[in-house]
Amino acid sequence: MEFLMLLVVFAPMVCGIIAYYSGRKSYTMPQILSILVTAIGSAVSVILLAGKAEFRVDGFCGLGLHFTASGFNGALAVLASFIWLVTSITSVGYLKETSNQARYYMFALITYGATLGIFLSANLYTTFIFFEMMSFASYVLVMHNEDHAAYRAAQNYLAFAVVGGLVTLMGVFMLYSLTGTLEISELYVASSAVQNRGMLYAAGVLTLFGFGVKAGMFPLHTWLPTSYMYAPAPTTALLSAILSKAGIFGIFVLTGQVFLHDEKWGMLILVLGMLTMVVGGVFGVLTMNLKRTLAFSSMSQIGFILVAVGMQGLLGEENALAVDGSILHLFNHSMIKVLLFSCAEIIFFNTGTYDLNKIRGFGRNKPLLGFAFAMGALGIIGMPLWNGYISKTLIHESIVEYIAIAGEMSGLFRFVEWVFIISGGLTCAYMLKIFVAVFIEKPEKPLEKKQYVSPVVAAVVSVCAVILPLMGMLPYNIMNGIAGLCRGMVNGKAPEHIVNYFSFTNIKGAAYSLIIGVVIYFVVVRLIMTRKSKKGGKTYINLPSVFSIEKYVYRPLMLTVLPFVGAFFARVAGSLVDWIILFFRKTIFNDPYRPVLAPTDNYFGKYSRRSSQRKGFTMSLAYSLMLAGIGVMATLFYLLFA
Amino acid sequence: MNSLIVILPVLLPIVAGAGLLISGCSDRRKRQIYVASVVAVNMLITLGVIFFGPKEELTLIRFSEGMSLAFRVDGLSSVFGTMVSVLWTVTTFYSFEYIKHEGKETKFFSFFTMSFGVVVGLSFAANMLTFYLFYELLTLATLPLVMHAMDDKARSAGKKYLIYSMSGAAFAFIAMIFISQFGSLDFVMGGTLAAEKISGYKDVLLTVYLLGFMGFGVKAAVFPLHGWLPSASVAPTPVSALLHAVAVVKAGVFAIIRLTYYCFGTEFLYGTWVQYVMMGVVIFTIVFGSTMALRTSHFKRRLAYSTVSNLSYILFGVVLMTPAGLVGGLIHMIFHAVIKITLFFCAGAVLYKTHHEYVYTLEGFGKAMPVTMLTFAISSLGLIGVPPFAGFTSKWQLATAAVETGNPLAYVGIAALIISALLTALYLLSVVITAYFPKKDFRLEQVKDVADPNRLMTVPLTLLTAASVVLAVFPAPLINIFQQIAAGLF
Repeated sequence: MEFLMLLVVFAPMVCGIIAYYSGRKSYTMPQILSILVTAIGSAVSVILLAGKAEFRVDGFCGLGLHFTASGFNGALAVLASFIWLVTSITSVGYLKETSNQARYYMFALITYGATLGIFLSANLYTTFIFFEMMSFASYVLVMHNEDHAAYRAAQNYLAFAVVGGLVTLMGVFMLYSLTGTLEISELYVASSAVQNRGMLYAAGVLTLFGFGVKAGMFPLHTWLPTSYMYAPAPTTALLSAILSKAGIFGIFVLTGQVFLHDEKWGMLILVLGMLTMVVGGVFGVLTMNLKRTLAFSSMSQIGFILVAVGMQGLLGEENALAVDGSILHLFNHSMIKVLLFSCAEIIFFNTGTYDLNKIRGFGRNKPLLGFAFAMGALGIIGMPLWNGYISKTLIHESIVEYIAIAGEMSGLFRFVEWVFIISGGLTCAYMLKIFVAVFIEKPEKPLEKKQYVSPVVAAVVSVCAVILPLMGMLPYNIMNGIAGLCRGMVNGKAPEHIVNYFSFTNIKGAAYSLIIGVVIYFVVVRLIMTRKSKKGGKTYINLPSVFSIEKYVYRPLMLTVLPFVGAFFARVAGSLVDWIILFFRKTIFNDPYRPVLAPTDNYFGKYSRRSSQRKGFTMSLAYSLMLAGIGVMATLFYLLFA
Repeated sequence: MNSLIVILPVLLPIVAGAGLLISGCSDRRKRQIYVASVVAVNMLITLGVIFFGPKEELTLIRFSEGMSLAFRVDGLSSVFGTMVSVLWTVTTFYSFEYIKHEGKETKFFSFFTMSFGVVVGLSFAANMLTFYLFYELLTLATLPLVMHAMDDKARSAGKKYLIYSMSGAAFAFIAMIFISQFGSLDFVMGGTLAAEKISGYKDVLLTVYLLGFMGFGVKAAVFPLHGWLPSASVAPTPVSALLHAVAVVKAGVFAIIRLTYYCFGTEFLYGTWVQYVMMGVVIFTIVFGSTMALRTSHFKRRLAYSTVSNLSYILFGVVLMTPAGLVGGLIHMIFHAVIKITLFFCAGAVLYKTHHEYVYTLEGFGKAMPVTMLTFAISSLGLIGVPPFAGFTSKWQLATAAVETGNPLAYVGIAALIISALLTALYLLSVVITAYFPKKDFRLEQVKDVADPNRLMTVPLTLLTAASVVLAVFPAPLINIFQQIAAGLF
């Protein structure tokens, strides 16, 4: 069992390297290897989860690795493996057209191993090690297309990953020095004993930074739209469905262990979550590009999860609903997004674009694609009987519950509730927008009939699609089972009474969201964002890029301001001593005829034919140092021998 | 008689190198066999002496009471001696290939071999006097290597190196005199200052320590005395790699460790103003070096500035003046040695094959020089501190040690380590990205003449990279040894 644990993390990495070398000779070999590895990985993950395996590698990188596969960790590993398997299968068709596919599979498998390492980690040290491996390996995946846009997107991705990783390292480090442990199961006891709460919060916020980056949390989300947009479709599916969850995993650890039932922390996460949810939703509605809309949708749904995580902290002991809601929305979102991105992948593979104006009507008369996409859309907008409804209801109920106990804060949390409902409406609006554009509206010119999806991919997509309503219709069996398995991670308890998912009040909440969504759709998308095209049809207009924090804040800051300031100070410091010497020459030694020389690296002692130019040497630091040395020695000898 | 074996690895290369210089051998093959066998045999002798040799002191000449030329192998000597002798051998093979395009091979190899003996002497020195002798000899022996090309740039760099080092040593000399008056010159863990003599002279001695630190700090490239190091990167790449990333600069660090832990003793220095001053200087150097590296686009000079920064990581651990700090410093000393020598070798391989000196000219080299760029990429990740590669492990140790002291400056130091890691990522990853992901208008034909160098270069690269990864992933034995050294047990 222990051996399997090590294998499931490191074997994919080794297989990745094998895949690369096999890919030089054979085109199919890396693909087969990738499917094989993820399939075996899925099986092994299930075995590990069932066996509650635990494993340590002492001394690895110093503190040693510690893995566990019980509960949340194991369940996430199973989820990750399953979704990786799905994307491995669907990417077979997709990557046909692109070069460097062996390299893609190598880094995909390395990322896979690292992601399992994160999810199976039982201490934050292990989490961090694999988190960094995952960030760097997935950079190559984002880079895959190697065009200008991908280059820029990947640059962003890497910059955020590096900065985020380092800030998190600082945080993890402070946490370690404050609590004396990084074992996730011991963190709660250790951190509640910490007297210096201010430092603990600082450590928490720093740690949150890197995880927040990966999750796409506002205001650290700016890498997300471009990276999702320009990465190859299977990578986008992985980024959205799994890699973002690695960030959420870290936030779960912070909220459920380090800051368990801490109201201030809960409030912080809640506010960030709401901003993420609303910003993602608004941009989702305003974007007329299939993949970019789905990217913002991911951001918005992460916001929903974060709201639930925030409620965990606020509700304190009675946070059962928030705990279950956050866990279930995490699982639901992964399952839904892998399906939706697979559909997007199929569309792109046939049309070569994600622009809604160009793919309009592509889905007509394609019942399988329509069915799959509809299942995903209905799931994510929270339609009753689909899985998203269950988790959204739980989150909604947890907010309602807090309104009851919030006292004077209840007004504020009524606002939170409405923001939540409206965000649900935004979800509904942008999914409706895509569905209408792709599956209902007529294309500008009729499409020729041909096979648009391979039977294997069709089968995989269908399976993914059927699972969603199944989960939604059997919430007490499937959903409660998942929640029960996982809630130990955040020290959650089972709800005191069984939640009646299909009660009138709960359905009413969902109905509000859906109605608001339809209204938003008709007002914003149909009225404001649509223009008549020249040929008489409709054209969606795209949002201008003025709202880009990345373009107008982060990039100038990172690329121009900070390097300039840093280099300025470094240069000043570097020439400081030369300046001091110069100053004394000019003042004490009264030396007005010497020219002022720029302190460059190699001016001194430059040999030239004219002796006058050699004076540079006598003005340098080295010369002064030499004179000082001689003087000191002379004094010393005088003292010793006189 | 048995104990005389300690000076064998010191004398053998010096004599052999001098012999090569006198004979003026002009047959490349003979010379290579001769040098390779001398260096390899000497490495084996050094390792043999370190692991199986006598532990007692060997006094060669006694000048007066308390002043003698003596050798002894203690824990710190073993670490430094092992690191240097192994890396020296690897570098020797690399230079066989590299130095072909620099010319004047006999001269190069004779001084190269002689320096080996000097460095071993430095590491085996049992007291400050002996140490100082070899410290100065090291400057002299390596000077011809720095000035190897003998053009204007090389000569001025050599002069700069000489004057910086000699003047620094003059300051260190004062420290030596004071130690001999207030304690003894022997190296004893915990310091040799005699309690009855130092009362009333505390501030004087602290000032003297400051002078000594800055004096030895010249070789360790402590700001503001770092200027010689980037200039000296005009030397042939094996020299930059071995001397300016490992032997010479680490000799400076080694000297500061000796001065701090074995002469003055941390008990005397801990918590005094001089410790804060030194910490401030070192922390500043960390950020300064990285910033300068980022703004330098000359490949080797960028690595040289990176060395400036990383030497101060080590010194940061040292000036924490706790056993854990010393452990952290020593780990980073080893890791940085292995990584930086690899990075320099990569730069050298590029220079050797293409004469490209600037980082932005490396577009598409990932495909053209796969082994070189792969080792470069892995070592870069190591230096940045991406787990599970080397830098991460050592930085974690350094930061842990810093926090344990509870010193407010220690937190500033950790922040500096993090900022510097970010800068390291910028200045190294930009090279990696340029090499692997060229701009769109790049055509593969542009690099069709570029290829990996031959085995003499790629095998050392691969071995070193593998070593850095293995050491980083399983550092427990290393940490164990260093802890014993820091506790004064070994």
